[in-house]
Amino acid sequence: MTGGIPGISAASTASATATATATATAGIPTLDRLAAEGATGALHGCVGALYLTDGAVVHAESPVVPDMGWRLTAGGRLSPEAWEEAVAEGGPGYRAGNLLVERGRLSRGELELCHLSALFDAAYFVLSPLDRSQHAPDRFLGEARHWLGPIRPVPVPVLQREVGRRRRLLERAWPCPEVDAAPVVPVSDGDRGGPGPASGRQAVLAAADGVRTPVQIARALGRSAFATLLDVRRLAAAGLVRTPRADAPALPGPPPPTAPEISLLYRIRDALEAL
Amino acid sequence: MTGIDGCLAEAMTIPGARGASLVDWTSGLALGEAGEGPGRDHESAAADAAELARLAFENSAFTAADTARTGPVEDLIVTARGSYHLLRFVETEFDSSVFLYLWLDRAEANLAVALFRLKGLTERLVLA
Repeated sequence: MTGGIPGISAASTASATATATATATAGIPTLDRLAAEGATGALHGCVGALYLTDGAVVHAESPVVPDMGWRLTAGGRLSPEAWEEAVAEGGPGYRAGNLLVERGRLSRGELELCHLSALFDAAYFVLSPLDRSQHAPDRFLGEARHWLGPIRPVPVPVLQREVGRRRRLLERAWPCPEVDAAPVVPVSDGDRGGPGPASGRQAVLAAADGVRTPVQIARALGRSAFATLLDVRRLAAAGLVRTPRADAPALPGPPPPTAPEISLLYRIRDALEAL
Repeated sequence: MTGIDGCLAEAMTIPGARGASLVDWTSGLALGEAGEGPGRDHESAAADAAELARLAFENSAFTAADTARTGPVEDLIVTARGSYHLLRFVETEFDSSVFLYLWLDRAEANLAVALFRLKGLTERLVLA
């Protein structure tokens, strides 16, 4: 999820200016192969995109995950104006991230921490989609770059190991993936005497209104979507939120309000270029 | 200090330092590392340290928010026969779950000095 209109428009312009040598290589471009080839470009599909530079992952975006702009502005670290300024001025040169540091808006450490957190968060949902009928991205747009610019590239094997570890963490916490995509319904037990849930989970529980799904709660809190998912699983394990029946029809839930359909943006761009 | 690598390089100058890493305790992922990791390697040490961090961070006995103090747990100190393991939580003004993990040779290290240096390091990491 990009943080508001400026992010989206800069993203599409930036990709549009990239020299697009779309993807006619044989076979489905897999992450392993792109890493081995040292590829540069975007591996994209309807669940999001992974951006690679020289075979390492430099950015990930997923419509269900709060992006960096959202994270930095939700807690008040940056004003929306400061973020938009960096996107508008640094985006065309693919260096919006570095511009934030050069202008003294963020320390390099903050930029790296916030970006890595957003990158791993999005990559989890790109490679392990919530909607089980979706699959990981399989289209590759060569030479596409992201407007944030490279910040701290992540080797593909590190990313894949981390996604696997996150899957196992969820499974260990409460082996019911049904809670991941369903509205979070608190169980009112009227008993507030016992030890309450830990601080992060308390915020998630307080935001659970029986309508919002875990990723919508994450967005409302400006928080990691994976951490929120893990909290919801732990709350379910503790009996504090309801676990939907496995055979119940999955409630699709409304799509996040301003989610860019990335593959659609790519199709529009391709069509414009074909004119 | 230039970001994560600069922070870790400085951590390695703390007397007795054998290894340092910056770890996300939600999952146990090492975001960066320097020097050597205790026992096996950085990656498994990071995952183990993250378990400890999460237990401390998420249990009400340690996190009871008296007064208006921010950031409930600051450091975790594990003393072993030959080494110290120090974990220092990094406070950020955006959502994060990160700590700096320092592994020290007990014979060479000074615990008070190391804790003091670690505090300064984590503060400057996020100081614009």
